[in-house]
Amino acid sequence: MSSRLRVVAVLLTALVAQATLLTEIRLQGATVELMMVIAILAGFHGGPERGALVAFFAGLLQDSLLSVPLGLHALVFPPLAVAVSSLEQRMVRSTPATDAVALLLATTAGIFTVAGVGLLFGLSPYDPETLLVRILTAAVMTTAIAAPVNRAVRWAVLGGLPPDIKLRTVGS
Amino acid sequence: MAAKRPVDRPRPTLLIILAAALTLLTLQFRGLQPLDAFQQGVRDIVEPVRSLSDRLTDPVQTAWNGVFGFEALRLENERLEVELARMRGNALTSEADTELLNRLLSEVDIAYSDFDAVVVRILGQPPGNFSSHMIEVDKGTDDGIEEGMAVVTGAGLVGRLEQVDRSRSLVQLATHPDFRVGVRLVTSQDEGLAKGTGTEGILRIESGVRLDAQVDNDEVLVTSGGRSLFPGDIPVGKVLDPDSDADYRRSIIIGLAADLENLSFLKVVLPAEKPEGMR
Repeated sequence: MSSRLRVVAVLLTALVAQATLLTEIRLQGATVELMMVIAILAGFHGGPERGALVAFFAGLLQDSLLSVPLGLHALVFPPLAVAVSSLEQRMVRSTPATDAVALLLATTAGIFTVAGVGLLFGLSPYDPETLLVRILTAAVMTTAIAAPVNRAVRWAVLGGLPPDIKLRTVGS
Repeated sequence: MAAKRPVDRPRPTLLIILAAALTLLTLQFRGLQPLDAFQQGVRDIVEPVRSLSDRLTDPVQTAWNGVFGFEALRLENERLEVELARMRGNALTSEADTELLNRLLSEVDIAYSDFDAVVVRILGQPPGNFSSHMIEVDKGTDDGIEEGMAVVTGAGLVGRLEQVDRSRSLVQLATHPDFRVGVRLVTSQDEGLAKGTGTEGILRIESGVRLDAQVDNDEVLVTSGGRSLFPGDIPVGKVLDPDSDADYRRSIIIGLAADLENLSFLKVVLPAEKPEGMR
């Protein structure tokens, strides 16, 4: 299966999961941002260009599913993927713990940005009284399900390349 | 770890993608129909899977609520017992209030219960985190309902249909900050524009009602109809704070008549005279 088909398969599966199972699982009214975590992980594994493309289509699908204008998530996800990719290339050492913290921060920033851009376009997506709690809860829930998603995204976006090519040279 | 390819051109790609997203947003705000159709198409494709998932997860949810929601259920039961006792104690007062409301409504020729309506079942919150003050219901265009129609319970206005797909719809609750409805004070006949506050059960009128208009606590409000999207004379709520001392801008607080908690079914009010071509 080609890399593009794998990406399509992962995105469509994620869309269905977001629309069905994950919608039922809510804490404090918050739910998992599955498409966002795919965008972030696509940047992490696939590099900035491929990450941005995957993130764009993940955003478009997210926009189609939700009652938001088409292009809102598609506007936020690609820069998020590029930023994560850029930071990932600058990290000298990463462990599962640091990756999890980075993912938590990226998700939090992503949801804040979506809310902010939504407000710029005249949407009132969040209840101001519960904004912070809801965003943090959603970010934690999203980070909690990242491990299996990580494997799927890596399988999809690497396109047959070996997963552990190291281009960084420390001390040279 | 990311596999950096020599052909990576992140900046041009990102710029093109951002331009595309902004173009889509702009076109959507300009009301380009194919984009709405695309979104609706995606939701309609996913809908059978969602219905199947709803059916499959219903028993699990019931079991989950039975196990982990038992304490909440017990507390709710106790609360309802206290409420029932209080209601019995206030029966005469309530009857008097009901009579008064009915008299007030009949004085302005209101026949709220005569509206044609489609009964819809609440499915829950819509997907994603962009769903404050929105709920999803199980009927759509296939059942003859359309965007903008009023959604009510027996107690009064609940919200409006915000997005209607073939077999599902989103209801924007009256408490949503973007919700607007023209209302009329039953006693004074003054009209104003009520809007959602983002706070449960509370609306606010900030325009329309004259500064010197006589507005009393507990005065009943109904939808004004006219050029509004909603039919007239749907009960909205009662005045909680008439803001009679306002010097410049009056802000009247309204308590919503319909209780939005623990709802299972709603009614979508159909227009009295359907346009040609509609079911």
